[in-house]
Amino acid sequence: MASRLARSTVRQVKPLLSIDQGEARKRVLNLYKAWYRQIPYIVVDYDLPKSKEQCRQKLREEFEKHRHVQDIRTVDMLVIKGQMELKETVEIWKQKHGLMAYWRDSVEPRPKDFLSKFLDGHE
Amino acid sequence: MLRIGASRLLQHGGRHAAVVSAARTQSSAPDKIEVFIDDMPVMVPPGTTVLQAAAQAGVEIPRFCYHERLSVAGNCRMCLVEVEKSVKPVAACAMPVMKGWRIKTDSEMTRKAREGDQSMAFGSDRSRFLENKRAVEDKNIGPLVKTIMTRCIHCTRCVRFATEIAGVEDLGTTGRGTNMEIGTYVEKMLLSELSGNVIDLCPVGALTSKPYAFTARPWEIRRTDSVDVMDAVGSNIVVNHRTGEVLRILPQVNEDINEEWLSDKSRFAYDGLKRQRLVYPMVKDSDGELRPCEWEDALIVAAKALKAADGSVAAIAGGLADAEALVALKDLVFPDAGTGTDLRSSYLLNTKIVGVEEADMIVFVGANPRFEAPLFNTRVRKAWTYNELHAAMIGPDVNLTYDCEHLGDDASIIGKLLDGSHPFSQRLTAAKRPMIVVGTSLLARPDGDVLYAQLLQLSQKLRSSCEGGSEWRVFNILHRVASQVAALDLGYTPGVADIRNNPPKVLYLMGADEGAITREDLPKDTLVIYQGHHGDQGAEMADVVLPGAAYTEKTATYVNMEGRAQQTQAALVPPGMAREDWKIIRALSEIVDTRLPYDKLNDIRNRLAEVSPNLTRYGDVEEANYFAQATALAEMVSGKKGAAPIDVPQKKLEDFYMTNSITRASPTMAKCIAAVKKEAANKYIE
Repeated sequence: MASRLARSTVRQVKPLLSIDQGEARKRVLNLYKAWYRQIPYIVVDYDLPKSKEQCRQKLREEFEKHRHVQDIRTVDMLVIKGQMELKETVEIWKQKHGLMAYWRDSVEPRPKDFLSKFLDGHE
Repeated sequence: MLRIGASRLLQHGGRHAAVVSAARTQSSAPDKIEVFIDDMPVMVPPGTTVLQAAAQAGVEIPRFCYHERLSVAGNCRMCLVEVEKSVKPVAACAMPVMKGWRIKTDSEMTRKAREGDQSMAFGSDRSRFLENKRAVEDKNIGPLVKTIMTRCIHCTRCVRFATEIAGVEDLGTTGRGTNMEIGTYVEKMLLSELSGNVIDLCPVGALTSKPYAFTARPWEIRRTDSVDVMDAVGSNIVVNHRTGEVLRILPQVNEDINEEWLSDKSRFAYDGLKRQRLVYPMVKDSDGELRPCEWEDALIVAAKALKAADGSVAAIAGGLADAEALVALKDLVFPDAGTGTDLRSSYLLNTKIVGVEEADMIVFVGANPRFEAPLFNTRVRKAWTYNELHAAMIGPDVNLTYDCEHLGDDASIIGKLLDGSHPFSQRLTAAKRPMIVVGTSLLARPDGDVLYAQLLQLSQKLRSSCEGGSEWRVFNILHRVASQVAALDLGYTPGVADIRNNPPKVLYLMGADEGAITREDLPKDTLVIYQGHHGDQGAEMADVVLPGAAYTEKTATYVNMEGRAQQTQAALVPPGMAREDWKIIRALSEIVDTRLPYDKLNDIRNRLAEVSPNLTRYGDVEEANYFAQATALAEMVSGKKGAAPIDVPQKKLEDFYMTNSITRASPTMAKCIAAVKKEAANKYIE
């Protein structure tokens, strides 16, 4: 009984897509390349007020955001989400502001120190 | 007036009173007797009533007229219970238990007795109720208590409260049986500073709150426990609020402070919180008119002036300022000043409020406790009723609701008491546990320090000779405003003479609305910054107005006159652009470039504890000592005594209602004053 319990705690998890680190990495690079190649078309189709270079920089930023992720299943899940996002973008299921939200231009940073909070009415 | 003798006291006296008298007479505790409540055995002391014995066994007998803080009336017949081998059911609230009694609280006979004569079960299906339905005319007993007299069941709780605790004999009963009515005999107002308590006492809603009538249902209300700041007693209250406004204020039980009572000012002044509020920062423009502006603008104007003043800054704190705001202001304006104004025992009510119940002699000097601290006065009255406390007064001959020997209003009486040449001295020295209670208005006199020194010496003399010994404290100060003790603990000095003698370039008023300093006392170029919650005298003379929060809108520390730190809880948010007070000073400090090192409530509480640890020990009284040292200091005081008689600012009931910016803005308080004045003008009464 006890041995069965012990075994159950170290059981192998089921992979989502990739079997090892290498395969997961390949999927990430493929997704990155697909986005990279799509960017010129996205800029034109959505009439974004951004250049190709700026978009590529943002793309890199979004991938760098998850650079620390080691777990293969998490990496796979992020890749799946990235593919869904790409599909929506390519099919023009999104709107312009949906893409512009990546730059968060309209979001004002919340005040951090006491005085700005006070003047803002948060304190 | 009602005063209960020793024999009565042993039977029904209040809990505290009984304990005290037992301790004083040194009688040995009598053996307990055994009784059975629903076959459960309980051991109780002899003289316990059936109702108390049942409560001890965990059985609550229903009651209307019985109330533990009032005398026993036994007229509602709700608490009737069966006692085995007794023919009739007995009234549990009035009947002392006998040894071996078997009491049945849920028997057939008990239930029948409770239901009264309602023999409907097997009667005719047609109503035989042919008489007229009984109805009683409503009475007008003033602007605070609404009466719906048809609901009244004549439990006489209100009558007993008025005569026993409030000490006014305005309420009474007329008629017998069906014709019995509760009322004031002739149409008049219930002239008491504690009248609101009859609302809480009424078991049926015949007496309700006039200002609260039809405003809300209790289940819609949110409740926040807090502390009252209308006087220095620090009564515990529950703020009832909904949709951003206070709907009513109820007392919360605290045996050490207010028991379960509340003064009318604390209970009904809440409508002043909605009027005359400062809701945006204001700065005086070139035409000399205050104009609303943004926080940034107001803070910059204030900061520039503070910087340019180069240390020539003074601050006055008002009676409603909290300890957090006071410490922040001190740190901003006087960062190098020391803390602690005096030995703490020199400015506290050292005996404590419950301590009055052990005293046998109390002498008021220049104080009118009835209006300066009504709930302290109820304690004195309680001790006078049950413990043979003797009260005396040096000052004007005011009505304190109990017998008080008037010694005169001459300031020289204090000196005579000290050297023993006054006829009263002998009795004062003979007292076992004397108390001397000094009013703060006495200390504000030009010769206040001389009188104060004499009183300190007198107290120390009495203390060394009295039976209470070193544990008993004689000297007491009766404060009038909620902020006073915390301010003194933090190092604020009393009086504004310094400011008048060398006027500063910038004057910071922290809710100071009592007109201690007026515009005429200051040179033209002095900039006045007012921080507070009401547009009152302070805001009127200000060049910069910073809107703060009232006591229901901030979580803040107040220290009552005993030295007991308590905190208010924020029930609402401050209106408009108003902010919590210490945060305003914290923001201002950053613009002046002397950033105060606290951002959170906990940070500033740590700072409070650093200055004086008692300020954050909520609920506890930090006792004070060093009476001998204080007396030694007092002996060095010399000066001339004035010839003016000792006076108090509040003598009559109409002086009670408006004492701070909140009460001055309250329509209910204005109505009270008008009603009391009208009552006084009625030539048919007294």
